[in-house]
Amino acid sequence: MAAAALAQTSSELISPDVRRVGSRLACLCGSCKNTVGDCPMLQCHYSSPAREKIAKLQNMGASDDNIVGEFVRDTGRQALSSPPTEGFHLLAWLTPFAAILMGLGGVFIYMRRVRPNQKPVAEIDPAVLDHYRDRIEKDMAKLD
Amino acid sequence: MENLGALCLILAFCFALYSIAAALIGKWKQRPLLALSAERAVYSIWLLVTIASGILVYSLITGDYRMTYVAAHSNKSMPVAYKFAAWWGGQEGSLLFWAFLLSSYSAVVVFTNRNKFRDMMPYVISVLMATMTFFLILVTFVAHPFEVAAVGKGVTDLGDGQGLNPLLQYWTMVIHPPMLYLGYVGFVVPFAFAVGSLITKQPGEAWIHTTRRWTIITWAFQTTGILLGAGWAYAVLGWGGYWGWDPVENASLLPWITATAFLHSVMMQEKKGMMKVWNAVLVSGTFFLCIFGTFLTRSGIVSSVHAFSAGPIGTYFVVFMALGIAGTVFLILDRLQYLKSDQQLESVISRESSFLFNNLILLASCFAVLWGTLFPVISEAVTGEKISVDAPFFNRVNIPIGLFLLFLTGVGPLIAWRRSSLESLKKSFLWPTVGALTLLVALAALGMRHPYAMISFSLCLFVTLTVAGEFYKGARQISSKQNIGFIPAVIDLTYRNTRRYGGYMVHMGVVVMFIGFSGAAFNLDSTQEVTPGSTMKIGRYDLKVAEIEKGANDNYQWGRLIVEVSSGGSVIGTLSPERRLYTAMRQPQPTSEVAIRRRPNEDLYLNFAGMSADNSKAVIQAYVFPLVSWVWAGYWVLLFGTVICLIPSKHRLVYAKTEVVGVTRQAAQVKH
Repeated sequence: MAAAALAQTSSELISPDVRRVGSRLACLCGSCKNTVGDCPMLQCHYSSPAREKIAKLQNMGASDDNIVGEFVRDTGRQALSSPPTEGFHLLAWLTPFAAILMGLGGVFIYMRRVRPNQKPVAEIDPAVLDHYRDRIEKDMAKLD
Repeated sequence: MENLGALCLILAFCFALYSIAAALIGKWKQRPLLALSAERAVYSIWLLVTIASGILVYSLITGDYRMTYVAAHSNKSMPVAYKFAAWWGGQEGSLLFWAFLLSSYSAVVVFTNRNKFRDMMPYVISVLMATMTFFLILVTFVAHPFEVAAVGKGVTDLGDGQGLNPLLQYWTMVIHPPMLYLGYVGFVVPFAFAVGSLITKQPGEAWIHTTRRWTIITWAFQTTGILLGAGWAYAVLGWGGYWGWDPVENASLLPWITATAFLHSVMMQEKKGMMKVWNAVLVSGTFFLCIFGTFLTRSGIVSSVHAFSAGPIGTYFVVFMALGIAGTVFLILDRLQYLKSDQQLESVISRESSFLFNNLILLASCFAVLWGTLFPVISEAVTGEKISVDAPFFNRVNIPIGLFLLFLTGVGPLIAWRRSSLESLKKSFLWPTVGALTLLVALAALGMRHPYAMISFSLCLFVTLTVAGEFYKGARQISSKQNIGFIPAVIDLTYRNTRRYGGYMVHMGVVVMFIGFSGAAFNLDSTQEVTPGSTMKIGRYDLKVAEIEKGANDNYQWGRLIVEVSSGGSVIGTLSPERRLYTAMRQPQPTSEVAIRRRPNEDLYLNFAGMSADNSKAVIQAYVFPLVSWVWAGYWVLLFGTVICLIPSKHRLVYAKTEVVGVTRQAAQVKH
């Protein structure tokens, strides 16, 4: 049994072409968040046949888009590793950056609210200034 | 035994309810003895939950397979450390572990504040015990760790248990979950103090001072937990990744990000009396994200390799979070008038502004991770269509945000509090910017063509130069004034303001980590079938399979490759990746024990994936991971900086609330 378990893995070589297309497709094995192109489980029940299918379609001369389209036809758009950039799913891409813009807006509103009125500041009396200078000197002396 | 355990949990549940009632009534009716009894109840709960936990751990170690939990997560041949770790290896046990940690934290909080915050403590206790009650409901009525499957006099031989998942039988797994939980649970305490301060209308600095150190320690635990998890994934899963953007991984990152934002913005409240509402929101958000993370792991709402089995437990979490969030929002809105800033923002170009932007970007990254994690659920609910949101999405959205954060890490220390003049900015930014741009050009000239990696390396240098500049300027002053060497001056400088210079070290830890992250842009991998005596090549390495060994022990059978590693024609070492089959489990499960040659410049990583179909060749997955060790090194720098932050400074710092009283004649003339 142990020998069978240790000997059950078949090797497969992943070409850069298969990897390129595979990186656009999600591994739907249910236990990882990898793409078909970089799923490391050699016997993955989803990625292994998916890679074989990609290689087969490439040998038949299919373009990358056609291969990806073939997977989407079979499995739906969950076959894609990232949300499509159209319709409702465009929100997946736009919302984080829209949130940053809204946050920026919020920060600027906050800054305007908490900034003092830009009225001119009065010139300080030299005696008051000397008082502050003395205090600084004393504080600095304490630090030493 | 199991009955005693169950009884302890029921009693703890009753005591938790009592504690809430006694604390609140004691406060409202001005009955100090009743309020004191609430504190005593907290200690009793700790004792009861500890006894229950002890019984579960004892059952796991001695193998009481009558108990469902023990039978599912322990077996005879597991080492004792993993039997102990089985406490948090399953749903019921990990919820009990949550309750145990919360009861321990609560007892520590009550003890350390027994003579302080008399106004606030009844509310702090109420919040802690309300959370405690929730978890005790779960372990008492929903996910019972003491459930017994085999009852009756005739039951004598129960065989063996299923055992802990072999992937979890790794040393970091013994400490990764406790660290993460110490982080998750620890954030309850700052939240409890925040709520206490809001209820008692004391939103000033008192609760901030009390909880700051607590938050830093909790944050350090959370960081450690996350990094241990990353280290476990790297060393155990066999593909060399340390972060897969799995929903449960993301769930641990979310409260860490908001807590990081809080640790920055809290300085604004301490020094300037600003951002009080924001800090209350951040502390509350961190707490609820901790609960949300626990919910994600257990509800089955998103599919994850880390998730426990789904069950009715999710509904309880939703109800708890809904009630908690509603109550907190009401409280913050109701207390807005007490949360007004004491000070005003004097300039857009100031340290205060940089903190605002830092918080904005941290929150943006938190939102992006949360959004990506939940988007499949949202999409299915809105369109009825299932979609996948995997690593490519998270990388594309989060890498630019992360790089901008790195940039802000360098900018913050260069800008003065209150306001910075353009002249001083030019002076401060000149050399870091020149250094970063020079590195960028040099990398391009050397042929590097990965834009994110190039930007990241340049920003790393930028931040390093700013931090080094801060240390250099301060230490040089001390060195010349006290006539001591530069290194003692650096130590003295750090000791004078441990928070500030410890914080810079934390930033340096982040820089070192980013160097490690950026190395991933240059990873290499190769999978080949190799016969004994033959060689495969990856990068600069030649890998020769010298031998295949086989063996067995009580727990598992193994096959091991002895691989001779050469580079440039000379042998530089031997690696022994292993393939195991855990035969002691009811359903034997294979795992890989990878072999790693760790070096600062790159790791060589070998996974023995098994034998070819005809059993004549070994299947080797070989990887080269440039700079990955910097990720782990960065953690140690970060931890060191965190510890420095916790050391009291040589001089107690009092942050004077400053105001502009006027301008000098000279300045007034320049202005006009």
